Amino acid sequence: MSGRTGTRLGDALSYLFMLVMFVFFAGPLTYLLSMALRDKREVYRGAARYIPDNPTIQNFITVLNNSYFPIYLWNGLKLAALSGLGVLIVALPAAYAFSRFQFRGKGLSMMSLLLFQMISPLVIMVPLYRYMNRLGLLDTHFAVVMVYIALGVPLATWLLKSTVDGIPRSLDEAAMIDGCNRFSVFWRIILPLSAPGIASVFIITVIAGWSQFLVPFLLLTKNDLMPIGVGIFNFRGMQTDSSIQLLAAACLISVVPAIVAFLSLQRLILGAMTSGAVKG
Amino acid sequence: MSPIAIEADSPPQSRTFMRRFAGAPLPWIMPVIVVIGIFYLYPVIDVFRLSFTNATLIGENQQYTFGSITNALSSPQLPDILWATLIFVGGSVIGQQILGLAVAVTVIRGEKRGLFGTTILRTTALVAWVVPGIAGGIIWQMLFSEAPYGALNSILRLMHMPTVAWLSDPAMAPWSTLISNIWRGTAFSMVVMYAALKSIDPSLYEAAEVDGATASQQFFFVTLPQLRAAILVNMILITIQTVNTFDAIITLTGGGPGRATEVISLYVFNIVFRNYDLSGGSVLSVLMLIISLGLAFVYASFLPKEEEQ
Repeated sequence: MSGRTGTRLGDALSYLFMLVMFVFFAGPLTYLLSMALRDKREVYRGAARYIPDNPTIQNFITVLNNSYFPIYLWNGLKLAALSGLGVLIVALPAAYAFSRFQFRGKGLSMMSLLLFQMISPLVIMVPLYRYMNRLGLLDTHFAVVMVYIALGVPLATWLLKSTVDGIPRSLDEAAMIDGCNRFSVFWRIILPLSAPGIASVFIITVIAGWSQFLVPFLLLTKNDLMPIGVGIFNFRGMQTDSSIQLLAAACLISVVPAIVAFLSLQRLILGAMTSGAVKG
Repeated sequence: MSPIAIEADSPPQSRTFMRRFAGAPLPWIMPVIVVIGIFYLYPVIDVFRLSFTNATLIGENQQYTFGSITNALSSPQLPDILWATLIFVGGSVIGQQILGLAVAVTVIRGEKRGLFGTTILRTTALVAWVVPGIAGGIIWQMLFSEAPYGALNSILRLMHMPTVAWLSDPAMAPWSTLISNIWRGTAFSMVVMYAALKSIDPSLYEAAEVDGATASQQFFFVTLPQLRAAILVNMILITIQTVNTFDAIITLTGGGPGRATEVISLYVFNIVFRNYDLSGGSVLSVLMLIISLGLAFVYASFLPKEEEQ
């Protein structure tokens, strides 16, 4: 009997803790939504009008009609998608080599990749800014995408290696006996079979690119080249207390694409991350 | 495999070359080497070089000197900056680790018992993690704001309690930034802890149960020891992530009030890109690099164990 009441008590405590945590994690986001749906007068009523009396989507319309906002969104999407593609092109062959070849210094080079991952982007941005300036590449999306790719490659290589590790070697060997060379094994066998891993690395890179602030903030000065992260930072600088509902709407617009992309592939992404972490 | 059979019907010269070329690891790894060389190795070497100069972001003339190093390290602001960083990083690591573990344990227990809402909780925590840093700062500013729309103070007013100067009191602001960072980062620890908990051998719990261990004894004598490696690795990863964070602070407090929330990454950012002091910023970048790499080496020393398995 005491065992059962103990379990009951445990359940009750679990529910209580889950509720507190749910409020902590979801509360801020729902308050953002609440602010974004208010008109000017209701903004000043704070949490007393958590559900606005007169919800309006006028704020979203105003923000999207702002001449720059759609450009920010497009730039953000373009930079993030191109960097996702670039990361795959650079990291996939390396992941294949790290998985299938035995060579001297392999462990060391995998480990140094991990070390580079731990260097703050801020450290490398100081000299990068200087030489992008000298090469005349400031204010180009090319420079921004290249830096995004570099930032994403170390983690992507690790995650993709563990995906390729999961494909049985006997498939490679069978194909080679049938006359495939390494390129066609890579192209016809490894790539199709790593599709789930490739998809999750792509999404992880795209979300990271979408969230980027530092790189575009430093390498771009022209407003019509800015991606959403910097756009929203500048937009915030232009708002006052009386237009906070517009900032909330803009902020929500910048957050939602990342959340949707993540949620739709949640299982895949977490699977790739945990298998990468467990296998090291 | 019979390599002899493949060699027997010898293909034309060019295909042999292709096979040799593709059979070596170097061409496959070349793209990564080039990208890392250009965008990590060269800049890092350049940062070291620049810290021995008096370079600015605008002037072209630079001379080699130790002056920047002594100036940057003897700056009267540096102790405050390091203190703010220590509070921010230490608090985030402890908070995210404890909360991440607690949520992971509860989610696993909830899944086992079929409790309602475990998936919802897990998903909501993960959503907070995906929110871009700049947006996270804006969201928390709306919660902490002392203007009428600030959520927390208006809740306090509704309950007839005194309001708190979340962001304008230098003693309070570091805690506010800490809370917002714990909100964003807990999901990462949760994922790592969840995976680690799942890989604990269930027979350990069965044995403990047979021996009559209570739930809390099971947690302290089975779960925690089994998680030791995962906890350490996770702590080092979040330490490095937090040392490098500054976008969330820029929009939340901008480093203020005064310098109460100016962590080292924000300080470096301001020195280089607001004061144009390239050499001073480089010295502090090297300092950040040493902190991160020091932690990375501790991390690396935990990995060989897994290779032995």
